[in-house]
Amino acid sequence: MHEEALFRDLRTKMIAIAEVERAPRIARVRLWVGALAHLNEVRLRDAWPEVVRGTPAEGSRLEVEMSDDPEDPRAQGIVLASVDVPRERYLLGDGGGG
Amino acid sequence: MTDRTIAVDYLARVEGEGSLRLRLEGGKATEVELRIFEPPRFFEALLRGRSYLEAPDITARICGICPVAYQMSACHAIERALGLRVDGALRDLRRLLYCGEWIESHALHIYLLHAPDFLGYPDAIRMAKDHRAAVETGLALKRAGNAILEFLGGREIHPVNVRVGGFYRVPARDELETLLPTLEPALAAAESTVRFAAGLPFPDVEEPYEFVALRHPDEYPMNEGELASSRGLALPQERFEEAFEEVQVPYSHALQARRRGGGTYLVGPLARYALNRGRLPPRTRSVVESIGLEPEVRNPYRSIIVRAVEVMLACEEAIRLIRGYSPPARAFVEPPSPFPGGVGAAVTEAPRGILFHRYGIGGDGRILEARIVPPTSQNQARIEEDLRHLVDARPDRSDAELTDACERAVRNHDPCISCATHFLRLEVERA
Repeated sequence: MHEEALFRDLRTKMIAIAEVERAPRIARVRLWVGALAHLNEVRLRDAWPEVVRGTPAEGSRLEVEMSDDPEDPRAQGIVLASVDVPRERYLLGDGGGG
Repeated sequence: MTDRTIAVDYLARVEGEGSLRLRLEGGKATEVELRIFEPPRFFEALLRGRSYLEAPDITARICGICPVAYQMSACHAIERALGLRVDGALRDLRRLLYCGEWIESHALHIYLLHAPDFLGYPDAIRMAKDHRAAVETGLALKRAGNAILEFLGGREIHPVNVRVGGFYRVPARDELETLLPTLEPALAAAESTVRFAAGLPFPDVEEPYEFVALRHPDEYPMNEGELASSRGLALPQERFEEAFEEVQVPYSHALQARRRGGGTYLVGPLARYALNRGRLPPRTRSVVESIGLEPEVRNPYRSIIVRAVEVMLACEEAIRLIRGYSPPARAFVEPPSPFPGGVGAAVTEAPRGILFHRYGIGGDGRILEARIVPPTSQNQARIEEDLRHLVDARPDRSDAELTDACERAVRNHDPCISCATHFLRLEVERA
């Protein structure tokens, strides 16, 4: 239940980023998992296809960094560190750029 | 085409799983509604039509913290339906697996969720700055519990090695003994955890709980025993539904269980301890006696001590079971032929309290009906009573003080929603 709530939040954030960036897809997602997040990498990778199903991140490559520092101020959370989006939009966007 | 990396650094949060509505009139709480918004997941419906062999793996998905409990209740209920008896080394391995779950689940709650309340910290992160050794003890205990789950279950979360009738694979003795170097220091850490918890400062509160738990003649109950209560209930566990019912309340997605024709009751560590104190294993019993723990703990804040006692007994039991292990001749017991089908129910002791499963199985091995009553739904109405007493004792508190006090009162019972350290959205109506 705890992890599902975290996943829902991540999913919402990734959809929002893709909209802002006008990115049709996300190629790679990098997550940082706190030492007190009550979540291990196996469970995370197991659930990930469901988390991203139907979002621009479906089929993306997932990279996970597990922290072992309980004093980190983010130790109870999962941090969406970065996402990679294709450069296409900058070539196809309004008037080019890129 | 190359990709562009967008740095986000966004911290995902748990929000909106629980809320509490209070209505205060004349210094009294007239309405207390603990709301749980986890969307319904329809597990009982999706089990229908599936093979009976799938039930342990499907129901394990209900909870990432206590999947073993779901697997055990499913297996026992289905085995009762099919007339299977699982004993000897297979029974011991199941108890060992349950020990692992109790250790990891309780250690998580004690050190990362509950202890900060008594030491004056808003969460475990702030506590770790001053009490790093305590937090690391908690993490080490959690790892010890997870080591049992991973070894016997195939992985830490949602184990895959449990099946109706036993296991898919059972370990050799020398394989199982590789857990001892992890569990022996864990037992010592668990003993220090009991003493640590007993030394915490507690509010002076007593609640008139009716405790409900399994009671076993020879052992502290996990997988077996009769249903018992502190007010005299004694019933074979498969007759759970004769004594308890679930009701839908309009403000919560979780059903609430009650005694039939009666009121609320409490399941979990306080209930197990009150009804089974005489079955503690020897080293744990001597530590319990040395700290002078009362025979019935009715102060919910002191549940942290009882949870620590259960971590210790689970470590002690795990070591005993490993040392006494001889591999069984077969990894699982086969159902009779021809396949009989039938109806069976069972209760086992999840870390948070009794977990009821009932299944109807057809002659083709398909599940015809399923019913699951988890511990959090059984405790929810009783938690509301704790909250009512808390509010009535000090109705003058500000909303912020009330939120903090109510969160602590809820965390005493380790419901699934307590995973979120700050989960409560509090609505207060003051008339």
